[in-house]
Amino acid sequence: MRAWPFLVAATIVAALVFYCARAFDNDYVFFAGYVVLQFIVLATAWNILGGYTGYVNFGSAAFFALGAYSSVFFHKAYPLPIPALMVIGGVVSGIVGLGTGYLTLRLRGAFFAIATLALAVVLQTLIINWTYVGGARGAYVIRPNEIAILGSYIQYLFLLMLVLAVIVICTARLIERSRLGYGFATIRDDELAAEACGVPTLRLKLIATTLSGAFMGMAGAPFPYYIGYIEPSSAFGLAYAVNSIAMPMIGGTTTWIGPLIGAILLGLLQQFATVTISSAVNLLIVGMLLVDFVIIAPNGIVGLIKERRTASNVVVEPTVFVLLFALNFSPVYFLAGQGTGAQSIGLVFWLILAYVAYMRGRVLGRWWLIAFPLAGVLFAFAPVIAAIPVTAATFVSALLQIICVVCGLLPVRRPAEASAR
Amino acid sequence: MTIPYDLILNAVIAGLLLGGFYAAVTAGVSISFGILDIVNIAHPGFIILGSYIAYIINIRLGVDPIVASIVMAPVFYALGAAIYQVYYLSFERRGQEALRGLAFFFGLLFITEVGLILVFGVDYRYVQASYIGPSLHLGNAHFPLRLLVPCLVSLTLFAGLHLFLTRTFMGRAINAVSQDQLALQLMAADPIRIKRIAFAISIAIAGVAGALLIVIQPVEPSVGREYIGRVFAICVLGGLGSLPGTLIAAMLLGLMESFTSTFYGPSWSPAVAFGFLLLTLAVRPAGLLGR
Repeated sequence: MRAWPFLVAATIVAALVFYCARAFDNDYVFFAGYVVLQFIVLATAWNILGGYTGYVNFGSAAFFALGAYSSVFFHKAYPLPIPALMVIGGVVSGIVGLGTGYLTLRLRGAFFAIATLALAVVLQTLIINWTYVGGARGAYVIRPNEIAILGSYIQYLFLLMLVLAVIVICTARLIERSRLGYGFATIRDDELAAEACGVPTLRLKLIATTLSGAFMGMAGAPFPYYIGYIEPSSAFGLAYAVNSIAMPMIGGTTTWIGPLIGAILLGLLQQFATVTISSAVNLLIVGMLLVDFVIIAPNGIVGLIKERRTASNVVVEPTVFVLLFALNFSPVYFLAGQGTGAQSIGLVFWLILAYVAYMRGRVLGRWWLIAFPLAGVLFAFAPVIAAIPVTAATFVSALLQIICVVCGLLPVRRPAEASAR
Repeated sequence: MTIPYDLILNAVIAGLLLGGFYAAVTAGVSISFGILDIVNIAHPGFIILGSYIAYIINIRLGVDPIVASIVMAPVFYALGAAIYQVYYLSFERRGQEALRGLAFFFGLLFITEVGLILVFGVDYRYVQASYIGPSLHLGNAHFPLRLLVPCLVSLTLFAGLHLFLTRTFMGRAINAVSQDQLALQLMAADPIRIKRIAFAISIAIAGVAGALLIVIQPVEPSVGREYIGRVFAICVLGGLGSLPGTLIAAMLLGLMESFTSTFYGPSWSPAVAFGFLLLTLAVRPAGLLGR
């Protein structure tokens, strides 16, 4: 599809989404939808730098918060309409992105990653000590309740974020299929060779950092109006940094659709988890899925669909098998006894456990290994269905998984081969 | 306004003692990032894990936290070996350490932090030991023992590590693996095994550093985030892989932070390390004693 038809198609999809959301006639849909859209923008923006050029940015929260705080500043100094604030937030974050990139991108990739971590803390310290925008106490930004034409204000914010999401996705897709995108890909694959072939790598990297930073800033600009009260530790929250990395990684980093899929799946999962369980467990889930996906599916969900057969065989290695098992069992432990909602989230991890057990079992010729995680699922739901105490069910389930790990590690005896030697 | 002489003297002492402690915190990263080229940003996560393990042992059994951490070092060593094995198989062997390896360590850092929050909550935890509280007085100079003891342990550890890396066969092999992996293979040594041992040592040191940390200050799970900046700032400033450089940089940063918090207030001190890091990267990326 060419760029213009794609833009039209994306706009139509966006209009449909907005229409459906209005059909619910419930403001909660807009509150939840806004967060998911915000993650779509952040993930796609992260991917323009991280996925296309291969430079990891750990400071998404910094760029996001810069956009948010530039809005707070103008809210106090000279109130402007939100679209204007988004442009300003974008410019501010873009400039900071350019500056950071200029300082560190001439060095090895790892330095850029560390510098972005540093950037987040420096900016947070500056904001904490800057009393005009609230300092450590935070600032209230009272949003009007109503707006002309649309009615409720949250619908207006939702619409703005929807438009931004369409713009960001179209830009990402345009970049992907342009000279610029091919330039980015050469940097990702072999920067030295690209440089030797005359690709202006530094300039391209700076374009990517600036664009990526600017979009994150734009996503942050309406945030104070959405949340109503903003303080440094929420604006610079780790949740933004980890989500904007995890979403593209889980979806797939090389195409525009990867971050979109990742953001929608993970965003919805988190909305569901926030309602049913605590927000700390929520973050644990994201971190765990990030680690799982980078090991099991290096090219994300998109990669899994494209290359169905070549499922990675790293899982088969004993160390990886044990570590993944231990990691994925821990959320199950924290979710135990938290009701049906929590158990259905735990299902994701049981699925991964089953996959790991299946892969290991296939190599060893012990197909029945998969039965242990499947039995675990039964025990996870047992307290909900029947009157079995939670601790007992968790204990049995844990015991089963330990047996599974042990069986997965016991060496295979091959009598025929042994006697032949 | 005259700046009181005693205040400066004590800021210098506190800074140097803090710097000595920072040296132990950074030693692990000096090995993993400096020598092995593994960007282990989860290192502070392991430090905090070490703090909590020292805390549990101290509270339950009443054992001195530093002794407890040395007893637990083999456990951390095993953990480090396992993590390197996974890292090698999943990322290094496939040549994906730049993007996915970093994301992997970021995920690990995150999981440790959130896991500790879920188990222990966000309250500050502290340990009991006889040297927490009293100070040594030499004239006007005060040496708080809770800083002096970790500093001495840290310097001993640091000296031991330096001797290990320069004098023993394994230490030299670790240095060799960073210089030329292929040549090492031709000498019939397994570079992966040597890297695994080196990485495991770096995690074991992180465990001990964690115990020193909880002696110095009360710890809560997100304290680790402040140390990401410090650790990498010191490591880069000192020059990658150079232990003497690391020690000098640690002392410098300790002094800078001590002066900032004495004269400007503690809310500015996290920015010092990161400011230092950005400045070093911009001006002299090779560091003080870099190759």
